[in-house]
Amino acid sequence: MIMINQLETPLYESIAAKFEIASLQSSSEALQALRREAFNIFKTLGFPSIRNEEWKYTNILPFLKEDYELDVIPQELTPEEFGKTAALVAHHLEELQQSLKGEQKGAYRLVTVNGKINAELSVLPAPELLRILPFAQAEQEPAFLANFGKIATLKDNALVALNTALYNDGLYIEAPKGSVLDKPLHLVNVLLAGGPVFVQPRHLVVIQPNASVEIIETTISDDAGHALFVNGVTEIAVGENAHFHHYDIQTGRKGMRFVQRVEATQQKHSNYSNYTFTLPGTDLVRNNLVLHLNAPELESHLYGLYLSADRQLVDNHTEVHHKYPHGESNQLYKGVLLDQSKAVFNGKIYVYQDAQKTNAFQQSNNILFSEKASVNAKPQLEIFADDVKCSHGTTIGQINKDALFYLQTRGIGEQRARNMMVNAFAFDVTEKVKIPALRTYLEKLIAAKMDNA
Amino acid sequence: MENSTEFLEEIAGKEYEHGFITDIEMDILPPGLNEETIHFISKKKNEPEWLLEWRLKAFRAFQKMELPAWQNFKMPEMDFQAISYYAAPRQKAKYESLDQVDPELLETFKKLGIPLSEQKTLAGVAVDAVFDSVSVATTYKEELKKLGIIFCSFGEAVQEHPELVKKYLGTVVPHSDNIFAALNAAVFSDGSFVYIPPGVRSPMELSTYFRINAANTGQFERTLIIADRDAYVSYLEGCTAPMRDENQLHAAVVEIVALDNAEVKYSTVQNWYPGDKEGKGGVYNFVTKRGVCKGANSHISWTQVETGSAITWKYPSVILQGDNSYGEFYSVAVAKGKQIADTGTKMYHLGANTRSRIISKGISAGNGQNSYRGLVQIGAKAENARNFTQCDSMLIGDRCGAHTFPYIESKNNTATLEHEATTSKIGEDQIFYLNARGIDTEKAVELIVNGFAKEVLNKLPMEFAVEAQKLLAISLEGSVG
Repeated sequence: MIMINQLETPLYESIAAKFEIASLQSSSEALQALRREAFNIFKTLGFPSIRNEEWKYTNILPFLKEDYELDVIPQELTPEEFGKTAALVAHHLEELQQSLKGEQKGAYRLVTVNGKINAELSVLPAPELLRILPFAQAEQEPAFLANFGKIATLKDNALVALNTALYNDGLYIEAPKGSVLDKPLHLVNVLLAGGPVFVQPRHLVVIQPNASVEIIETTISDDAGHALFVNGVTEIAVGENAHFHHYDIQTGRKGMRFVQRVEATQQKHSNYSNYTFTLPGTDLVRNNLVLHLNAPELESHLYGLYLSADRQLVDNHTEVHHKYPHGESNQLYKGVLLDQSKAVFNGKIYVYQDAQKTNAFQQSNNILFSEKASVNAKPQLEIFADDVKCSHGTTIGQINKDALFYLQTRGIGEQRARNMMVNAFAFDVTEKVKIPALRTYLEKLIAAKMDNA
Repeated sequence: MENSTEFLEEIAGKEYEHGFITDIEMDILPPGLNEETIHFISKKKNEPEWLLEWRLKAFRAFQKMELPAWQNFKMPEMDFQAISYYAAPRQKAKYESLDQVDPELLETFKKLGIPLSEQKTLAGVAVDAVFDSVSVATTYKEELKKLGIIFCSFGEAVQEHPELVKKYLGTVVPHSDNIFAALNAAVFSDGSFVYIPPGVRSPMELSTYFRINAANTGQFERTLIIADRDAYVSYLEGCTAPMRDENQLHAAVVEIVALDNAEVKYSTVQNWYPGDKEGKGGVYNFVTKRGVCKGANSHISWTQVETGSAITWKYPSVILQGDNSYGEFYSVAVAKGKQIADTGTKMYHLGANTRSRIISKGISAGNGQNSYRGLVQIGAKAENARNFTQCDSMLIGDRCGAHTFPYIESKNNTATLEHEATTSKIGEDQIFYLNARGIDTEKAVELIVNGFAKEVLNKLPMEFAVEAQKLLAISLEGSVG
């Protein structure tokens, strides 16, 4: 096997071996062909190095030098594992869902363990509201056939290719036509591993016309301290007049490396809103969020907040493709950097020639708290239509010393004053969260981290 | 805007006004590039051994380099062997006054609207006119000499002030900086050299008019400007080129050094041949411009108005090394027809309290593609560094494009950086309002565009500002419909 990449990692061999197994998994010839194509793409590209412009500021190669296990085929949990999972989930829910229950109606819950649905720990909505299936049972669904592998871009995209070649199973979530999910769905991804693992989670979310769904995604794992590399791909199809509010709460522990690509297509009058919150813990977070606005008259909102600490590297890449007239997109990313953490924001807005009357906005603000923290920002616009309003703004700065002083003169301690200001800074993003309890939870998380800072 | 369409189309169809060829005998080297070419150029220019060595070093670096692939346009085919690397007017006598200059040459300048003799008396501008590669007339030299200012052609500087040239040449743009800079270092034929001694303020704007003549001659200018302690100079560069069918490569290098408390203003108006309506022909303007604020409190300012060339590809940059130093970049770039402009700046903040300000205005019309690409880098030691960046794009017509690729890298938490960019169409309401006040569409567009670019044009020295404004108007007429 020829790998162009110079990376020396035992991973390449195990990837090849894993592919042999994975390629047998898909039932249909078309899916097998897709896997083969993806694998060939990965073979030519290899893992991206910093010489790849898209990965200029994020070097993932050091994170790949572990002896990862690729082959974590989900199977039935042993009672011991189940107990462990249940405890993890319960602890997690105590933090999050308790508040959800308190102020609101609560939420549905979908627990997956290493990508496999665990019905016992889940509280699922009725299938008329939301259909949830593992890929193995979804492969013949018309919406699966129409969308799977067709939204995420394989070309020049080594990690998507790797995921497509190696994924074991995935989650197929479909909101039937006209359904309105009465409570948000809380998707808890549990990752259990006995050693370093490299996993390829994959989701396909189809929101049929006139449907409306809110999903909150969180990922938890045991505290074993093993390196855990997550290379996720989520494909989303939002139908006509459908609404999808997608919350992604990224907490984690040391040793976790999290790379994902969320790629969505939107139809007329639809609304896709993504809220990504990254908190300290993981070593690396790289979010690739790509929207294809495939019809006129629709809106998209991307909100991001990252609070990074230690040696964490948080990288948010967004791409919004305005292909038809009268589209509106709005991006707001805010970051607070502590310790030796690094943040990257790379936003791209493409306005195609026919996408007249587009309004596209993008803003990224960063506060550096420590001398060793650094930010790299690349807000980009590529515009081929003339009757548009597009703007982007980026700032990098520090907390306003005068404001801090003012608060101190009013008898507010430095720590508290700083927290207030960070809270106010984050407010622009947290206020967008439509679920009040979730918002309270996030504000608490931020406050807790700032107290220890 | 029905009524205006016809008129605009008429102007859009206007051929390049400054396209004509001057018939002067040339000393031309046959096309081709090898070490012998470099020996020939060096010998022809009677250069010292060290300079030849430097050229050869650059040439060897050049041979190892490949053309970049990151730019936002399709790289045209480039055959470096098909270019002739030396062309000089045959008459090489030195002139004391303009009267002695070949009248045909003066006629050329007149056609371009650069009345050299008039400028001398009226504007008080000393002009070092580079006709192709060798300086022909240098005016006001005597007056500048009295103050100790050296303003001469690069070749002359090598002969008369070799110690200065040796000290600073290649210190800002190294011989192996990029492929075009390396090529320039290997084969540069001439250019301008400026040295302002300590404490001297140049009493007039220094200026050069570049002009590409002679078919198939890539021009490789090299400009070196040194402002010693407490010195000040404002330098102007303006260009037009005759019409050609084949693409011409222009790979110039400009180096600026500002020592303690020195200030250098560098202004450019570029109006080279952009190619015909199909985008055939036209100049490739691939220039490396960089200044270093070496001393504390120094200040370098780039101002550019780019309306010509088939492809403009340059990033005038400032290395803010001295504490409290200040870098500025003001740019108006127009891309119409099939023109491509990929331009912007780089600000490297190294010293404490360094500041930079970037104002970029891109105007795209017809099938033009305009890209702003910039880098603001804050080093770990750049305490309290400050940057403000604004890049606005205006789109005229639905087949053009505006792109921004800013890179912002901060390694210091005391730095404050701001970046904002907007893209919008030329305002129909504004045009309508002006129409309602009896101003026709053509004039209205001119007014709006001038208002859009005002912030940059204001930074140009007086005479240049007028010229640039006119240029902008002419460039854009015919693009609106």
